[in-house]
Amino acid sequence: MTNRSKTMPTVGQSIPHDSGTGHVTGEALYIDDYTPIADELFVEFVGSPTACGKIESVDVSEAKKLPGVVGVYTYRDVLGHNIFGPVICDEPFLAEDRVDYVGQPVVVVAGETREAALAGRKAVKIDVSPKQPVLDIDTAIQKKQFLGPERRIERGDFDSAWDSSQHTIEATFESNGQEQFYLESQACIAYPGEQGQLMVESSTQNPTETQAILAEVLGLGMHEVVVRCKRMGGAFGGKETQGVIPALMAALVSQKTGRPARVVYTKDDDMKITGKRHPYKTWYKAGFDSEGRLNAVKLDYYSDGGASADLSTGIMERTLLHADNAYYLPNVKLKGRICKTNIPPNTAFRGFGGPQAIAVIENIIQEVAAKLGKDAYDIRKINCYGGSPRNTTPYGQEVKNNLMPQILETLAKTSDYKKRLAEAEAFNKQSPTRLKGIAMTAVKFGISFTTKFLNQGNALVSVYTDGTVQVSTGATEMGQGVNTKIRQIVADEFGIPVDRVMMMTTSTEKNINTSPTAASAGTDLNGAAASNACAEIRQRMAKFAAELFAQKNNHLAPSPDEIRFEDGHVFDRRNTDNRVAFGDFANQARMARIDLGARGFYLTPGIDFDRDTGKGNPFFYFTTGAAVAEVSIDRFTGDLRVVGVDLLMDIGRMINPGIDHGQVIGGFVQGMGWCTAEQLVYNDKGELLSYSPTTYKIPNITDIPKRFNIAFMDNGENSKNIRSSKAVGEPPLMLGVAAWAAAKHALGCVAGKESVPLKLPATNEEVLMCLTGIEHKQREADKRQASTH
Amino acid sequence: MLQSTNTSRDHLLVFINGQRHEVAGLNAFLTLSDYLRLRLGQVGTKIVCSEGDCGACSVLVGRVEDVVDESGGGDKSRGGKLIYRAIDSCIQFMYQLDRAHVVSIEGLKRNGLLSPVQDAMVKCHGSQCGFCTPGFVMTMAGLLEGDGVDRGEALTPDQLRDGLTGNLCRCTGYVQIIDAGCAVDPGKTARLSELYPDGPIADVFNSHSQDGVVVTADDGRTVAIPANLDAAVAFKAAHPGCTVVAGATDIGVQRNKGKIDPREVLCLANVGEMMGVSYAGSNLTVGACANWSRVERSIKDIVPQFHDVLTVFGSPQIRNAGTIGGNIANASPIADSVPFLLVMGAQLEIVGPNGTRRIDINDFYTGYKQFDLSADELIARVHIPLPTEAQTLRLYKVSRRRDLDISTFTAAVLVELDNAGETIRNARIAYGGVAAVVLRLPKTEAFLTGKPFEESVLREAGQLARTEVTPITDVRGSADFRLQLAENILAKFYFDCAQKTPV
Repeated sequence: MTNRSKTMPTVGQSIPHDSGTGHVTGEALYIDDYTPIADELFVEFVGSPTACGKIESVDVSEAKKLPGVVGVYTYRDVLGHNIFGPVICDEPFLAEDRVDYVGQPVVVVAGETREAALAGRKAVKIDVSPKQPVLDIDTAIQKKQFLGPERRIERGDFDSAWDSSQHTIEATFESNGQEQFYLESQACIAYPGEQGQLMVESSTQNPTETQAILAEVLGLGMHEVVVRCKRMGGAFGGKETQGVIPALMAALVSQKTGRPARVVYTKDDDMKITGKRHPYKTWYKAGFDSEGRLNAVKLDYYSDGGASADLSTGIMERTLLHADNAYYLPNVKLKGRICKTNIPPNTAFRGFGGPQAIAVIENIIQEVAAKLGKDAYDIRKINCYGGSPRNTTPYGQEVKNNLMPQILETLAKTSDYKKRLAEAEAFNKQSPTRLKGIAMTAVKFGISFTTKFLNQGNALVSVYTDGTVQVSTGATEMGQGVNTKIRQIVADEFGIPVDRVMMMTTSTEKNINTSPTAASAGTDLNGAAASNACAEIRQRMAKFAAELFAQKNNHLAPSPDEIRFEDGHVFDRRNTDNRVAFGDFANQARMARIDLGARGFYLTPGIDFDRDTGKGNPFFYFTTGAAVAEVSIDRFTGDLRVVGVDLLMDIGRMINPGIDHGQVIGGFVQGMGWCTAEQLVYNDKGELLSYSPTTYKIPNITDIPKRFNIAFMDNGENSKNIRSSKAVGEPPLMLGVAAWAAAKHALGCVAGKESVPLKLPATNEEVLMCLTGIEHKQREADKRQASTH
Repeated sequence: MLQSTNTSRDHLLVFINGQRHEVAGLNAFLTLSDYLRLRLGQVGTKIVCSEGDCGACSVLVGRVEDVVDESGGGDKSRGGKLIYRAIDSCIQFMYQLDRAHVVSIEGLKRNGLLSPVQDAMVKCHGSQCGFCTPGFVMTMAGLLEGDGVDRGEALTPDQLRDGLTGNLCRCTGYVQIIDAGCAVDPGKTARLSELYPDGPIADVFNSHSQDGVVVTADDGRTVAIPANLDAAVAFKAAHPGCTVVAGATDIGVQRNKGKIDPREVLCLANVGEMMGVSYAGSNLTVGACANWSRVERSIKDIVPQFHDVLTVFGSPQIRNAGTIGGNIANASPIADSVPFLLVMGAQLEIVGPNGTRRIDINDFYTGYKQFDLSADELIARVHIPLPTEAQTLRLYKVSRRRDLDISTFTAAVLVELDNAGETIRNARIAYGGVAAVVLRLPKTEAFLTGKPFEESVLREAGQLARTEVTPITDVRGSADFRLQLAENILAKFYFDCAQKTPV
């Protein structure tokens, strides 16, 4: 046979999302789309009316009398342990004697219908004697209300470096929280199994932990609980731990009634009672020379952890590990504390503490530039990680294969940064109506869970006798395309088309003791595990194939190393005309009693970090990039438009460029939302006022700049990760900081060398009030000057 | 064609993906999305916010638009054709859909094959998590039903941006969705009329166009869907406590959030004579039930200022449902149309059992959500005097996000200059979001009268304007922010107009 068309490897191709057709037809099912079983119950909950206080009484008697109300439960109905927590065991499933935030679940109500459950919810009376809630970081610090230990990372000698610095700045920086705003609210259906077992369909990034907590709280063994997740309608970290409470609600009802039970939060409830990105307040000091080289940096981070620890300790840890971002800090003193307040426990959100750290250091760079009257880009360049010795992080990890300087330079050229900067500044001098601003910011994001044991994955690969393959991994699909990428990896392992590979529902039955799909590491861990499983199956197949082809051709000595899996066929490299279709081959292998299934395991090698000393190599590698953003501001209304974005990233060799483009654009836009628009507003009772899309504004299609350029650095050096790819999920989010920095630059053009006290997000209100303050200060100064002359 | 007149019907006549449904009883009071998901098991339509602010539940609704537009600039009557527009199905009640054809995501494939929009969304990676995707696909399919496609041209990025403001996506950052929209070849895209021929459906609808519909549920709740204004007025007079529903863009939200549960409803969705938009002399007359999209299409060349601000009212889905009468009677202090209507001195034509009366909208509002309309009256039409050549009109909407956001602050500024263009002959200013009602600013208006049209004058007027308003701090902004906007907007007005003013 000659002139055979050779199938391209699918890795590197932009094949569509594996659920794409399901998405566009509405045939892809989410939890609430599952057809109800006849006796299924609907579950509602009653939340705390108060942010802080002692529960005096919970009266469920009226609710129980209502028609259609099947059960009303409190913590007293919990058979196992009511208190749980992913790191620190401090969070009640249902509040016991006190409440710690508005809406905190106290009572679970099961109804024959949604209406009945809702009526039951309304009929429950909770009497709380309220205490003064703590609703902000400053008050928590004052009252010394903290969660978890203080964490420190130090290098060099900050104090003497500070004393000897030519220039210094010292101030605070505040960034607000951010709602994940996954479109599919938290949802779960629990199905009772035989003999007290449970099967749970949950919208979760973390089936294993959901399984473990369900077992713990309900008094079951983990072997009695199966948790499955087909897909999520978005998650972004918000379903890493916080899917657990709704899962518990459904599971409790199912356990009590022996009937299937469904809980689907309304958007309003979801936004009111689930955790978000942590607000931060950071006290900073920076000393630098006249070139703007940072010599002494001290950062005291305080996050608002909310009412319980959740993942706050890990998030603060990542903050400390990203204090440097892309910049070398020789003398640095970092401290992190988590404040305990009376809002829902804050949790993971894409970036996981990284964005808050990066915003602070990028703000410092803007301040240094303003103080020295220099272009902030030049300050970034001079501080950027380079060769030895300017290539070790404050925690002692060497920054290897570092393309950061090239990324900054290349992007400055391709975005025409200098010219546009000059144009913006000239424009601002003459325009009475608008201000322009432009800035470049960077990202260097560490890839790996900073909790070492989580850096493992397992996968189950099953080859059927028609040559098709099912793959199950611990990865959960939330839209990020992890299943599509793994499908490509597996297809290439066997040399078969992607449509011969099916990604199966994630289930704790098939993949055990898995890590959450988080830390951008879903494909890294689970893709590598699947690849290992394939390698094992291929090894067995190759041994069989070697003998098979040798039998057919007696000139060939059997050699498994010579067996190839390509173009949907299996053959011996030395005799390519004798080929067997992969399906036929699989069937023959089964006849020969070859095992066609394997479980693959992967652990990230070479990582280690000591939390107590703040030293080690927590990261397998770094994903890096930079962004230039240009904004235009209405001087009368503060209205801010992001008018241009240029992104440049190093994400290694892309497994699926279409998906990775989507991750980069989507991540950036989410970051832009955090930095410029999304504002969580609470009242003084601790009630969230911005609890639906009417009042909480994520970016809209018209907020997307028309100039939106994306490019990637050519970097195949990262051979240690699966297919030389790099993780892409979280890093681009932090490039959204460029939009905020551009706003700061625009206002700086009015303020001159005066500091611009712009908080994050730079909403129209924040921008206008900041601008008004600057202008007012200048008018006062002018008046004083006039009166002295 | 047989046309029955004034037949009374006790059920709704709705087509869904080509299938005829006679909807009666409590089902008539469900939202469309609940009917699709819970009654028909068609779960492709997704629910996120239940308030029309995300578009995940978008579907297309086709109607025989039998309103003849007299302005000449807008719709032509298309007779037996169904015209499809996207709406949010979570805040559209079934009873609003009598004589309508609903096409949902389940109805878009043809012969089991993806439509070109669906295909492009898959190929361009327009979906990630997929939850918003059915809504985007439906809205985009609706755009291809629009006028641009008749010329066989692909949708432009700008058309897609304007057309998709009602759909939120949290994953993609929208770029690949725009790419997908641009990649659709409209020449190869079947119109809905090819999938679902207009004729048979339109015939059914037309033959029932004069039916008076009253649906009563087992629990006693009632909805009347009259076919003409007289019947509507008669019902209102007989049931003065009923809830009037036009587009339900607010009532739907309130019902979904458990704030109201109306038991007696007058639905105006089929009163064609309340939907016209006409233009004569320097007067625009808009039927109270004309939805914003209709107004938008009709006035584009007549009052470009009003048109431009209309394009940031809600979203296309909201504008395809919400009406001018609803906006007025909702009486929100941040109602987007009201500042414009106040400075123009719009007249409301109100009908009741005793006939018709007119009232200047400046005299209509009496307090927070209070207005001069008795329980047996309906707003039938709005008569709007349009700006003269000598008048300069600017409308402002400040919101946290440009599109699909409720205003923090709104303003309408109408200034008439003398012939030399130097002196302000008179000024009318209305602000929203700064008090319990939308306010006129009499002191500021008086101050400006006779003053030169100069920056310093407008800045001084801004300082005065601050003193005339009493904003509060709420979720959309602080009182200080609103005060600053009240001050700044007049300076902004100056610069917006200065270029066009003779020096």
